[in-house]
Amino acid sequence: MKTPSSLEELIQALRCLPGVGPKSAQRMAYHLLQRDRPGALQLSAALGQAVQNIRHCCKCNNFSEDDICGVCLAEGRDTSLLCVVEMPSDMLMMEQTQCFRGMYFVLMGRLSPLDGLGSRELPLERLVQRARELNSEVILATNFTVEGEATAHYLATLLRAQGVKVSRIARGLPVGGELEHVDSGTLAQAVLERREVQG
Amino acid sequence: MGNCFPGLMHKINMSGIAKNRIQDETAFVLHSYPFRETSLVVEVFSRQHGRVPLVARGARRPRSALRGLLMSFQPLQLSWFGKHELRTLHSAEWQGGQPLLQGTALMCGFYLNELLLNLLARDDPHESLFDYYRLTLQRLVQEVDHAATLRCFEKHLLQELGYALLLEHEAGSSRPIVAERSYRYVLEHGAVPQSGQEGEGMTVSGKTLLDMAADDYSDASSAREGKQLMRMLLNHHLGGVVLHTRELIQDLRKFN
Repeated sequence: MKTPSSLEELIQALRCLPGVGPKSAQRMAYHLLQRDRPGALQLSAALGQAVQNIRHCCKCNNFSEDDICGVCLAEGRDTSLLCVVEMPSDMLMMEQTQCFRGMYFVLMGRLSPLDGLGSRELPLERLVQRARELNSEVILATNFTVEGEATAHYLATLLRAQGVKVSRIARGLPVGGELEHVDSGTLAQAVLERREVQG
Repeated sequence: MGNCFPGLMHKINMSGIAKNRIQDETAFVLHSYPFRETSLVVEVFSRQHGRVPLVARGARRPRSALRGLLMSFQPLQLSWFGKHELRTLHSAEWQGGQPLLQGTALMCGFYLNELLLNLLARDDPHESLFDYYRLTLQRLVQEVDHAATLRCFEKHLLQELGYALLLEHEAGSSRPIVAERSYRYVLEHGAVPQSGQEGEGMTVSGKTLLDMAADDYSDASSAREGKQLMRMLLNHHLGGVVLHTRELIQDLRKFN
């Protein structure tokens, strides 16, 4: 039996999603066509609309429907702090902590030389421009993976050369963490990066 | 009798596939990338089994114990099983004793890993190279200038892969290299005395060759020429592969 060409095309199209191989794509296509046609139409409309309307905020580089996103437009935020994160989900997490009321810059990725992701894949010129425009301290809140650390080192060197003040978020034991249950790597690094007790 | 030690029973069952099972092997993670929904493929460099790709099941789940453990540049004790090329990670334990690489040292670490990923064949054990890699990582943490350490590692790597440099004798003869003379280093051949006209290969002084043989890069000219010579040799063996870490390190040097 020959697969109809529209179905073939749908299966091919679904494969653009990360982690979706030929089998999963086929399963999704069958499900949409057989069990959930309204859902399929809704999906196609939502995809079309999102691709057309969503762009990057010209200030923080996060996804936005307008030129400038809600966070960057919000009144009363501290413009003397600029927090750099890897992904929009990281920014959401920072917002949930409610401890940070400064501005953001979302890299939409990280440096990963072993995956071939170099500095050209990141909007670094815009970050430098934004930091200078705000004349703010830059807080590097990239992940504590080796790639995140490499990104932080690269950005710190780049920004310091431009005369920008740079800091890095701290790492160590989690709040409420017990030494007995923490992983060895975290504990080892917490001992190495210990601080003098003040006051 | 009921099984009151479920974990133990599991271990005994697993030993049924003993010949495909590797237990408590010292290894370093070279690189990892996402696999399926929640797993990770880690390319590890192990002491007795060389470079091996392993699937770490569920390693990308938020509460996975493997998160934060499968970090590059940290000695680990890994156990795995499987008879296909992609094997399955069974357990990982932190060995410790190696502070995390930071800043320029971290970039150099990436460079070592990129070289190993591109030049080492899978399942080809290189125990002495493994030990040297471990030593090199320790040196990177302790020192400020990493150039000499990188040159020594590059030399060891080529030597282990069977492309040892000829640094003390002229190519095709037993005549020793003389520090005061000038030579041309020809790919897959070695150093030949510099004759009047431009020939193939790279011009290099006898002193540089002897310094490289002794792993001594204290002389600025030896350090510079040694770097150029190594770059020419590595580029040849890499067969056109671009090293991204090299580009990043060059960028960083420009900023400073």
